Amino acid sequence: MATSRSNRALPNSQSPAAPAAPPSYVGTIVGESASREFRMAVAQEAIREQDLVAVDAELRPTDGQGPPESIRVWAKVQRIERLNPLFPSEAGHELAATRTNPFETVLSLSREMVTAVCQVLGAEPRGNNPRGKLDQLRYPPQPASSVYRPGSEDMARVVLGELAQRANRALDIATLSNRPEVSVSVDGHAIVTRHLAILAMTGAGKSWTARRIIEQLAAKNYPIVIFDPHGDYSRLSEVPALRQKVKRYYAQFPVFEQDSETVVKVVESLGWELAKTHRSHFDTLFEAARAFIKAPAPQIQERTEWLSDYLRNSKIKEYGLKPDLYFFGDFVQAVSAANAAEDFDSLSVLIEWCKQDDLRINKQNAKWLETFPNNLRTAAKRLRLMEKTNQKISGSLDPLPNDRTEIVQYGQVSVVSLAGYTGDFQATIYNLIANDIFQARVQEKLKLPVLLVLEEAHNFVPGRANTPAEERSIAITKQIAQEGRKFGIGLVMISQRPSRLDETTLSQCNSYIIMRLVNPADQNFVRKVIESLGEDEARLLPDLDVGEALLSGQLINFPVLVRIKPPESQGEREEEDAFKALEDAYRSLQQGARQPQEVRGW
Amino acid sequence: MNDHQPSNRRLTEAGVQEDLQRQPHLFVRLAENALTVAESLRGNYFKNTATFIAALRKAIADTQQGRRTDPILEVRRVPETSWADVQDEVVTFIDGGVGQVQLASQVPILLRVGSYRVRTGERRLSEREQFGYYPVILGDLEGGSKERKDFIDIVRITAELLAGLSALERTPDLRVLIFHGPLTYLVGSYAGHTPFTERDIDLFLRQYAQDAQIARALKEDFLRQAHVDIYPKITKRPDEWARQRIFEPLSFIAFLLRRLCERARQRPVPAYIVGVVERGNLRELSETILLERVFRGLRQKGNIDYFNNMYGRTDLSTPKALLDRLGYTDALLMAMLLEPGQYSESWSMNKFDGLRRGEVALPGLADEELVNFEALKPGPFGFPRIRGCYLHVSEITEPVRIEVFDELADADYLENVVRRVYLYSRLLPGYGFPVGLDIADKYAHIPTWLTNAYSKLIRYHLGISLQQGEISDAEMRRVLVQAIYMTHRDWLFRPEP
Ligand SMILES: Nc1ncnc2c1ncn2[C@@H]1O[C@H](COP(=O)(O)OP(=O)(O)OP(=O)(O)O)[C@@H](O)[C@H]1O
Ligand SMILES: [Mg+2]
Repeated sequence: MATSRSNRALPNSQSPAAPAAPPSYVGTIVGESASREFRMAVAQEAIREQDLVAVDAELRPTDGQGPPESIRVWAKVQRIERLNPLFPSEAGHELAATRTNPFETVLSLSREMVTAVCQVLGAEPRGNNPRGKLDQLRYPPQPASSVYRPGSEDMARVVLGELAQRANRALDIATLSNRPEVSVSVDGHAIVTRHLAILAMTGAGKSWTARRIIEQLAAKNYPIVIFDPHGDYSRLSEVPALRQKVKRYYAQFPVFEQDSETVVKVVESLGWELAKTHRSHFDTLFEAARAFIKAPAPQIQERTEWLSDYLRNSKIKEYGLKPDLYFFGDFVQAVSAANAAEDFDSLSVLIEWCKQDDLRINKQNAKWLETFPNNLRTAAKRLRLMEKTNQKISGSLDPLPNDRTEIVQYGQVSVVSLAGYTGDFQATIYNLIANDIFQARVQEKLKLPVLLVLEEAHNFVPGRANTPAEERSIAITKQIAQEGRKFGIGLVMISQRPSRLDETTLSQCNSYIIMRLVNPADQNFVRKVIESLGEDEARLLPDLDVGEALLSGQLINFPVLVRIKPPESQGEREEEDAFKALEDAYRSLQQGARQPQEVRGW
Repeated sequence: MNDHQPSNRRLTEAGVQEDLQRQPHLFVRLAENALTVAESLRGNYFKNTATFIAALRKAIADTQQGRRTDPILEVRRVPETSWADVQDEVVTFIDGGVGQVQLASQVPILLRVGSYRVRTGERRLSEREQFGYYPVILGDLEGGSKERKDFIDIVRITAELLAGLSALERTPDLRVLIFHGPLTYLVGSYAGHTPFTERDIDLFLRQYAQDAQIARALKEDFLRQAHVDIYPKITKRPDEWARQRIFEPLSFIAFLLRRLCERARQRPVPAYIVGVVERGNLRELSETILLERVFRGLRQKGNIDYFNNMYGRTDLSTPKALLDRLGYTDALLMAMLLEPGQYSESWSMNKFDGLRRGEVALPGLADEELVNFEALKPGPFGFPRIRGCYLHVSEITEPVRIEVFDELADADYLENVVRRVYLYSRLLPGYGFPVGLDIADKYAHIPTWLTNAYSKLIRYHLGISLQQGEISDAEMRRVLVQAIYMTHRDWLFRPEP
């Protein structure tokens, strides 16, 4: 080391004019101390786990020349141990056997020994460190030194650390859990560039936390895209400051952007299993239909009229053609009719439009195809129902734009509602959007950086894929987690079942907000994957309050226990009580048709 | 009291043998004895002991049941007592000990006295319990003969008594004061120490007296009494002693004991001042009461060779000879004679025979002068008389000896003391000793630099007292800090900063 200062800490209690214990004295260092950890004796109840404390010390120059430097060592209470060494266990058994109240006896009950194990966070020059940066401590604080609780301002300064110099990065999201008057800001830059995971059991406050962060980022005009499977974010726009910034989209399932294999699965899950002939012609018909509808507007107009006339179905003209399964049904009906009637004129029209020779089918097969459209229309109807539900929950009139990257806008929070869709539909929609955005950033077509917020992330990035849809959503999320930083794509993953998350993806996150977790599998997983989370912190997880969180990783100077400030927006669900929700559900049952039946995969 | 039915078996030799086998601690003691007694006594040692004890038990039982008029030993059962009977009583336990420092050899550096005060039934912890920890650094004392091995005992006894006295003075409702160990030691052997200086006494007093006023008063009271009544009886130069304001240790200890007794008696109901001794080696009760009566009876019945016949010897014709040859002690005999929950008759103890003339050097002087310690035998300015008895707490422990001031000890007082000691001890049936003494001991124990729970506690509390400036003497602070935080190699040899 180039500096001539030794890291020799002198005890403040032994200097000749030992100052009186500061008013906020909390304990005395006992036993052996180390530069990473020390123990202190505390009065009962004087201190809580995760409290921030400090010890004053003197650093003397190694050469013995010059005055010592006063430093303040900061530490965090990691765990508190209680022990009553004066209570013989034999006496305990005796009391139990004779049912004696210990207070009636001469046994000692008062001398519980409370020892707090403190982790050293670092040291700073005393009285002169506006930057709040802590240096590594290389010499242990002195035994018998007094430990005190610094004032709120000092605490805020140190928690903020170097972020104080970069106020524009700071997001004001929390207060210290044990010191409500101390605000805790986190580094927004780390969140938008290095990924964040918010992990907690259900109801612990994940969505509130995410909303708080989103509100703060939105105030800085950062482009955000939220994938919202439950409508948790539908009220974001009610916050006055965000009214102009939040844009909600409902999601249609773009049938013709899928491969035909996927669409077969969709149809089979929403309608019924395909007959053999239907299956054998499916790929041809689907490709033909895709070609039919993928045309410039004037041609679409012509084709719409043709189809409407050919099938003698005026509704087609009336509503226009949309790239959905209804259209696919109509198209199949036309192909089958033309073949069955051996109407070669119409067939050649179709073949030309679709550039598909195989549309010529023998009469027998064509007859068999006649029942196929029913299946497609049933599936279409159910899909439409999901879309409607989705639209309703999203509270939005805007479908996703054709160019999906348009949802990334300066100063815009885009909420993509996935509610109403079953899992694989959600995964697919997410995958399409994320993929488009990623590709656009890679190819520099999309100029703005973006933060993707993924609620219920365990459904999109599970440890093991069960369906091709999941496989694809895992692939794109992994890619973003690994390479997103290069391309200005940040990721916030929110999950109530962390142990189901893909481990590599989670470990790519550099910041973590962990709230109450009671499931042991989840606790263990989190402990294993997140390096910055210590054993003592992990132990706290099941006991956290709603709204309490451990912040760790690059978003914060050092891990702290905080209480998240409530967001200004309200979520969808916390507003409704169970009985009101029942009534709403009943009304929507009366209005709409049946919900799509629960299906495996799609 | 009535003995229950199965106890008839107790009165037989076989019954005694069964008892012995059930009580390994007794069995071991007897086995040790069997190895040390003369060859000729060894053979039937167990059997003969059983025969002897059975006979004694029978004699005791006969007396209790009115079949015998000349008791060999009165045995009483502790009256049924529950915690409910002793609620809202303030009890203080005092225990002193030595702290050694691991240097090249074990050097005692620190004497510590711990006190634990508790009010039974009090639920507010802050009101309920109070601990005191009084360290004395031996090196700081000018008086006492440091070269003597018992120097530390003199200091400890003085310190404990001061702690007890201050507890009594500052706690108006103190009901019970229990010392770990004899209330008064066999003081004769401690005679001849160089007197303490006034500075020494100030060192002690700084720890004990809550306010300087009381401390000064105590000191002056002694010095006045010493000058007028004590020193003239023990030295030829009482005026010189008084001029030097020195504290002859035994005179001062006797003074403190008298003061304790006086203060206890001044209460509306006398406070119970008690010493409790575990693992004692005395045989005074056996020799001067129990066997004395046994031999008297044998003589009366013309059966003086009873023991000689039994053991096949010719020299077992006095209590002393019997105890010498067979290695019995009070604790051993009482363990076999008293059932758990019983206590022996009490007797006025002989603690003062050893007080004779002896040589004493004054502080800072090489010359010795002759001092008459006999003058400190019980009397207006000597030691108060002590009364003792044995209490058997549980089958798996040896009886403890209870000592009180003879002056206070009517039958009622003694019974009240015994009830309480019994109650406190039953919380530790495997130890058979008042639990509060265990607590005071643990509290005050100087760690042996091990990180066991107790040393942690002491470090903890000393750390806080240091912090709060309660220990202000700079040197003491330094040594304590060293003592508390010392690991094997550091601190004492650390260069000064
Ligand atoms: N920081 C907070 N302060 C106070 N209350 C909070 C806080 N965070 C959450 N809550 C309360 O807890 C409820 C649940 O919060 P939230 O919806 O964020 O939980 P969640 O973890 O997202 O649950 P789920 O897993 O069901 O989505 C909120 O409605 C609110 O009442
Ligand atoms: Mg939620």
